[in-house]
Amino acid sequence: MIETITSPLRAVWESLLERLFFLPPFPETIDSLALFSLLLVVGLLLGEWLHAHARWPKVTGYVLAGIVFGPSALSWISIEALAQARPIADAALGLLMMEVGRRLDLSWLRRNPELLRSTLADITLSFALIFIFALWLVGLTPAWAAATAAVTMASAPAVVLLTIEEAKAQGQVTERIILHTAISSAASFVAFAIVLGIVHAELSEDWLNALVHPLWVVVGALLVGGMGTWLALRIAKTLPKGSLAQVFVLIACALLAVGIARMLAVPVFLTLFLMGVLLASRDQQQTLRYTALPEGHWLLAIVLFVIVGASLPWQEFTWLAGLQALGLLLVRAAAKAGAMAWSGGSLPLPKRLLVGMGIQPLSATAVFMAYEIASLYPEVGRSALTLPLFAAAMMELVGPALCRLALHRSGECESGERNRGGIA
Amino acid sequence: MTTKALGDFKDSAAFSLGVELELQLVSKRDFDLTRGATDLLGSLDYDERFGEIKLEITESMIEISTQPQSTVDGIAADLGGLRDTLRQHCERNNIGVCGGGTHPFHHWPERRICPGDRFNDLYQRYGYLAKQFTVFGQHVHVGCTSADEAIWLTQALGVYVPAFIALSASSPFVDGVDSFYQSARLNAVSAFPLSGQCPPLGSWQEFTEHFAFLQACGIAQGIKDLYWDVRPKPEFGTVEIRVCDTPLTIEQATSLAALAQSLARWLLRTRPPLHTAKQAHVARYNKFQACRYGLEAMISDPVNLCQTPLKQTLADLLEAVSDDARELDCAHWLTPLKQAVAENMGDAAWLRAREKQHGNMNDVVREASERLMGKNN
Repeated sequence: MIETITSPLRAVWESLLERLFFLPPFPETIDSLALFSLLLVVGLLLGEWLHAHARWPKVTGYVLAGIVFGPSALSWISIEALAQARPIADAALGLLMMEVGRRLDLSWLRRNPELLRSTLADITLSFALIFIFALWLVGLTPAWAAATAAVTMASAPAVVLLTIEEAKAQGQVTERIILHTAISSAASFVAFAIVLGIVHAELSEDWLNALVHPLWVVVGALLVGGMGTWLALRIAKTLPKGSLAQVFVLIACALLAVGIARMLAVPVFLTLFLMGVLLASRDQQQTLRYTALPEGHWLLAIVLFVIVGASLPWQEFTWLAGLQALGLLLVRAAAKAGAMAWSGGSLPLPKRLLVGMGIQPLSATAVFMAYEIASLYPEVGRSALTLPLFAAAMMELVGPALCRLALHRSGECESGERNRGGIA
Repeated sequence: MTTKALGDFKDSAAFSLGVELELQLVSKRDFDLTRGATDLLGSLDYDERFGEIKLEITESMIEISTQPQSTVDGIAADLGGLRDTLRQHCERNNIGVCGGGTHPFHHWPERRICPGDRFNDLYQRYGYLAKQFTVFGQHVHVGCTSADEAIWLTQALGVYVPAFIALSASSPFVDGVDSFYQSARLNAVSAFPLSGQCPPLGSWQEFTEHFAFLQACGIAQGIKDLYWDVRPKPEFGTVEIRVCDTPLTIEQATSLAALAQSLARWLLRTRPPLHTAKQAHVARYNKFQACRYGLEAMISDPVNLCQTPLKQTLADLLEAVSDDARELDCAHWLTPLKQAVAENMGDAAWLRAREKQHGNMNDVVREASERLMGKNN
């Protein structure tokens, strides 16, 4: 479609080239900065419009913009452009994952056994039920069923964090949604690393890769994340606490870790998540504890979700695949709600169920994990992972709304009060 | 407007005590105020053996109040029990608790009014002031044996309002900056139309007439609408001193209760002349001096027509009430106050020193929270 617009322009340009010798050749690809700006603008416009007119979460609008302008629909964002924009998406996802890692407060689990119970229940039930569903009802092989479970068992850290930020939510339901999301993400990364080995073993019978690849991913992510942490703390210690310079140092070290992880083919989401966890646990002097990401990270988040939306394989949609994905989401929802209901504790049941609703999103991390596994054996991987990709595609649209509804029903966001004319 | 009858003054045991402390609920992540009071109380399994734990106007506040006690040691035990109960429960919910009259850097528009008709009425009546009222005070109740005695004590204690302000001052920071005040909290209270001093009233009869007048004018509905610095509390049978900032430790809160009890006994025993009409002229100025300068305040004396350093009058006062403190078995609780006056070192100075050391407010609140929990006194 984009060709129909550019071809007359190309013809005029090439005719001018003969006389205006200073002109460069007609650009074959869009400049990266221009692409970034276009993704930002289309995402922003649709996100803001849907938020203003239909009260939809902005994230949903960004994803929709990606779907509409991506290869599945209008094709204004080509597959090449998606590949070109991948570093930006990695940077955005990396920063958000680092933030989630920084919020992982394991000491809370020690102080509150009921939370340990509910997180273990969530992780175990989600993985087990999705695995059984994929294996028995969809008919995947054990390796791909495990891959499907590993990819979809966790909540979506980026969506959860941005939805909470957008709603300015605060309270017990909010805090528990963050905690469950961070812990289930950690568990899904462990499962992801193990699954890498299983997939190698099943598809190539190459035991060296089956053993070394998971180790490469985990140890590599740990080392790169650890290096980023050490560097960030070391430099930040010399700067005034809470200063803008510290913010820049934190972002620079995070981007350095993103870059090195990309160079070493270590998953960015895992590396930066571990960097966040290490930053929170190794920062004994509270050097960077209170340094928050600037509002500007929304810019990157918009681009991330436009790219995720454009990466979703809607063009391959079939009703059977859709029904299977819906089934997976229902099983997953039941597992999470069941885990929250069963775990008991001081938070009343309705609020625990709201936590269960708030951790439903499934998004960028799942999509990136699925593509990571699929890229190992492209000839089978892509079709084998259609199920989690469609589940993510559907939840991309519904998840942010569910999370926001949970926050709203818990009475922990500010919007309700503003609507009543109060001073929020 | 529905008015609430004043009711009879319920006589109570002489010099019995009760203490209320409003505490800050802070996030363990960045030590900003967090919303959580309703959830915290909703899941609290506690038999009220040390007193009550209650909601306050916004979700970032919680109030603890002791049982009525005849001794200061009883108050200390209750406050310790309440503190520990709250600590255990807050830890389960990953919330920190902190003392101090203001939160040094919270953003008041982010506060949320607690559910409940009374809080909603206050919000509707006072608008944004209700959210700015996220400040934290200590109230000390002293039991009186009769209504007339309570009114006399209310007037007599009015003179000592600057002393209580200076000794409890723990709110130097507002909106992330040094206010230059030792107690900036009271500036948030003084915005309310019924704050200030109790008018010069001589008896319970005069008080009830004055209150009926306020009700008839539509100014006050119930006694709770009077945000006076010192006010009678008929249903408890007490006089309530309401000007103290919540100190950073429960030990300091207990010491202030000891001063209130000893002072009340000394006043009722010696019955000094009150000069209430003259005192009314200087009360606001003296209160400002104590809020702004703390122990360094210069207090106007409308009888001798001079100014006196508060530090001097406080040292004299603590000496004067020593015998009564011994009689009440609380002299040991006055020692920290004497030391604070001698060294000119209060909670506000401690907070400023921490801010100077860390260069940021988050660490100040973190350390203040640990201090309330008795970790680094």
